[in-house]
Amino acid sequence: MADEQASIALLLRDSPLHDSFRDESAFASQFESLQRRTTRAFKPAPSYHLTFSLFAGGSAPSSWDIETAAEQYINPLLQALSSISDFTVDTQVQLHASISPAIAGPTFDTPTITWTLLASDLSGFVNAAEWPLSPGIGSGSTINLILYVPHPRQTPLTLSGGGNSWIIPQWGGVQILNPASNTTSHLSAAHIEPVMLTFADQLMSLLGVPDSPPSLSLRIAALQRERTTSLILSASSTLGALVRLTRKLQSIAIPKTVAHSVELTISHLEQACTALSEGDYAAALTSAKVAEAEAEKAFFEPSMVGQVYFPEEHKFAVYVPLLGPMGVPLVMTLIKEARGLVGRRKGKVKVG
Amino acid sequence: MHLSALLSLPASLAFLTFTLASASPHSYTEHLHLLPLPQSHLHAHFNFTATTPLSAYESSHFRYFPRSLAQILQHTRTKELHLRFTTGRWDDEAWGARPLDGTREGGTGVELWAWVDGEGSTTVAKERWSELVNSLSGLFCASLNFIDSTKTVRPVRTFEPEGHHGNAKGGLQLLHGMLPHEVVCTENLTPFLKLLPCKGKAGISTLLDGHKLFDATWQSMAIDVRPVCEGKAGEECVLEIQQSVSMALSIPRSMRERHDPIPRPARIEDVECDESKPWNGHDTCFPKALTGEPAWTLSKVFGHAAKGACDLERDDQAFDVTLEVPSDRPVNATGASELTFPSTTRRHYRLSASSSFDLSLPAHSTPLGQNSPPSPPLYATRQIAGHGQERGSMHTTLRNPHAHPLTLVYMETLPWYQRPYMHTLRLANGKQEKMYYTPALDRKRGTHLELVLTIPAESTATLTYDFEKAVLRYTEYPPDANRGFDVAPAVIRILANNESPQFAGSYVRTTSLLLSLPTPDFSMPYNVIILTSTVIALGFGSLFNLLTRSFVLAEEVPPSPLAGVVRRMRDLVKGLLGKNGDVAKDEESSEVKDGKTAEISRYMREETKGKANGIANGDADLRDRRARGSP
Repeated sequence: MADEQASIALLLRDSPLHDSFRDESAFASQFESLQRRTTRAFKPAPSYHLTFSLFAGGSAPSSWDIETAAEQYINPLLQALSSISDFTVDTQVQLHASISPAIAGPTFDTPTITWTLLASDLSGFVNAAEWPLSPGIGSGSTINLILYVPHPRQTPLTLSGGGNSWIIPQWGGVQILNPASNTTSHLSAAHIEPVMLTFADQLMSLLGVPDSPPSLSLRIAALQRERTTSLILSASSTLGALVRLTRKLQSIAIPKTVAHSVELTISHLEQACTALSEGDYAAALTSAKVAEAEAEKAFFEPSMVGQVYFPEEHKFAVYVPLLGPMGVPLVMTLIKEARGLVGRRKGKVKVG
Repeated sequence: MHLSALLSLPASLAFLTFTLASASPHSYTEHLHLLPLPQSHLHAHFNFTATTPLSAYESSHFRYFPRSLAQILQHTRTKELHLRFTTGRWDDEAWGARPLDGTREGGTGVELWAWVDGEGSTTVAKERWSELVNSLSGLFCASLNFIDSTKTVRPVRTFEPEGHHGNAKGGLQLLHGMLPHEVVCTENLTPFLKLLPCKGKAGISTLLDGHKLFDATWQSMAIDVRPVCEGKAGEECVLEIQQSVSMALSIPRSMRERHDPIPRPARIEDVECDESKPWNGHDTCFPKALTGEPAWTLSKVFGHAAKGACDLERDDQAFDVTLEVPSDRPVNATGASELTFPSTTRRHYRLSASSSFDLSLPAHSTPLGQNSPPSPPLYATRQIAGHGQERGSMHTTLRNPHAHPLTLVYMETLPWYQRPYMHTLRLANGKQEKMYYTPALDRKRGTHLELVLTIPAESTATLTYDFEKAVLRYTEYPPDANRGFDVAPAVIRILANNESPQFAGSYVRTTSLLLSLPTPDFSMPYNVIILTSTVIALGFGSLFNLLTRSFVLAEEVPPSPLAGVVRRMRDLVKGLLGKNGDVAKDEESSEVKDGKTAEISRYMREETKGKANGIANGDADLRDRRARGSP
């Protein structure tokens, strides 16, 4: 309860509602750990695409029982989280995945007879140039969960600080699996059960689910309320940005669809706030999601972005070659005459 | 009718059907076919085939099928896709029939055709097609996004779906687009290799190197995705992706080392002189034409040997490399096991994961008549005739060398700025059965022309029509406007005929053409601005100065600071230069000058004084005159 109050205080800290919230100083001590949780998590999006990838350093293993394992361990979690966002799952297998040449790479550690990966290499481990991890088509963010099986020449592979998995903030998570034998070409569901449990854990942190009450449903309810708050804030700030843009660029024409979206956003924001005050959190979340979607649609309207309007520099560039040769003698003569006039007046004053 | 056309494919596809028959769900096979061609060329055909069951495809669980391409196909509801990247020219006369009868190659540049589920509406299909070309353009680093409505057509008879679509076939719409101006190079090969499971790191895909591939005389990369339903009870349909690279390379050119690509003439001792020439002597040598086969090594031709093997769920009888040479030619193969088959012209090798594979063939002299390749169904060439920048005419020559008549579909897509006149369409020596024609709309769509022709045995048909060239708006010209615009190649498909069933389903494509349109002088906007500014400056400026300038005596002009600076600089320079003796002369001349100016100024001063006095004493003057008496 206190954690939730602290996290909402953190969200409201940078918004104009800052002053009306009381007792903020009480939560200042928890802000740092909460900040870490929010920077790790993805921004709220209407849908998430989960991609489970098996990257093998060599030519094996070339298949895994991901369908049954995902069905068993991940799908129940996704169903519980369905009120927050939509989820799609796809999987792939990639062979001969070489480690990025930008990092130092695993070094052989003779006392423990293992290959170790330095902590500084973890951020650059994902070889974005060669590994096909293109984001999905369509709206929504992609969460990449990678299982890496090292090359037979580099097994067993561990991290220098211990453990075998890490999270890349706002991108996904990586896990290293050292298979029992070097020649297995298929990873059975039993084999990857611990892998799936770690993936579920990583998924929860990446979605920003708070970790304090031990009950999952309470945590998800807390996440719902946090999401509602952040969606309301984001929708209102998008609307404000749109208004400021309209005021700055006077010559942009606003299409009717944008006006309609803005109306919808405002009405849904009002509904969300009333629902929150009544305690109907599920309705508040739905209204807030609609408000955010409409605000984004209004702001990124393609016909508005591509408007033809003449910037001032263009006008200057076109007219100066034509009016310059005329204007310059006029201006020079004007200056001379003015000087002469001043001189004559001074002379008259002196004489007179 | 279509299935029978498919089944009557020529025997050269036999090895392909071998791999297709074993298409179990989630399979992957790769194969390399090497065939020496006449005139020291080598044809290499790489084929990579992966399949995935349709249920796994729909639930997005991928193993060997590339996920990035599958996402694009799912999102745009594309059921069958054929994409081609081609450069170079296949020499019909020397090398004979095209590999796989032209079914795995495209026209120069990029060619794309796909069957899209449009849900009964052409606008929906068009939107999905435009999404498809934009996504493919990002995936393959090619500017496929230029295939817009001006370059897209819907062919009627030229293409048939190769996959088994079942009941859904009626709702699919075929769209076709070509980009003849697209340059194909290494940046298109890299994403192609990334789609393979072994990624160019193991197996025959290690031989694909950008330097050697794009140095070939002709090369074509193809991606074909289609659903395959074997029809066996209990087995579901699979989605198959076939990636193939076909190249015809010149052996002496490819064997040159990478660090020394300059061709050098052979030493005179190594050159064989043709002694039948009348001028043959000790100091004049006409080199004899090379007959026979040159020596070549696989690692030298492709740059390095094939490393390892990509063996994923392969059965024991599968082979990776086939070399098609006569049985009397000696071949040395290292690092692979040779499989024995009853065929005498083909040798099959199976790569092993732990060693690298190399083939070397020593030079060989072939007896005459053994090396004539199979003749193609048709020889087709196309040119633009005429002169001037207003009009021209298209001229196509179709030669049928066989002893039976041929029925074919001739499809052309012309850009909208090339306006053909269909009433001038003439066909000599052939018969036109049917014509499908969609006229062009300026800046909206191009001309689509499909003709069903019959060409009698052993004759040459000529197809001509006139066209007119349009003048474009000045923003529509490309940066190198005087190069001209590319016209897409014509696609010819041989139809099944009662007398010639063996050529049905073959494709022949002509070359692309360069159309020079009238180009304006692009420097004119600059010229106009400069001229206008000059005229205004000179005319207005001079007139304005004449009107407003007041003329004063030289000494009344306040000395401008600039003149003072100039005078000081001049004196300084004179002082530095005149130190050696010219001082007196200068002083004299300057004295004289000064004297003159002093005189003049004294005179002027007196005058003005007089004048001023006159003005001041004007009354006195008048009084004097009055006193003297008015005259």
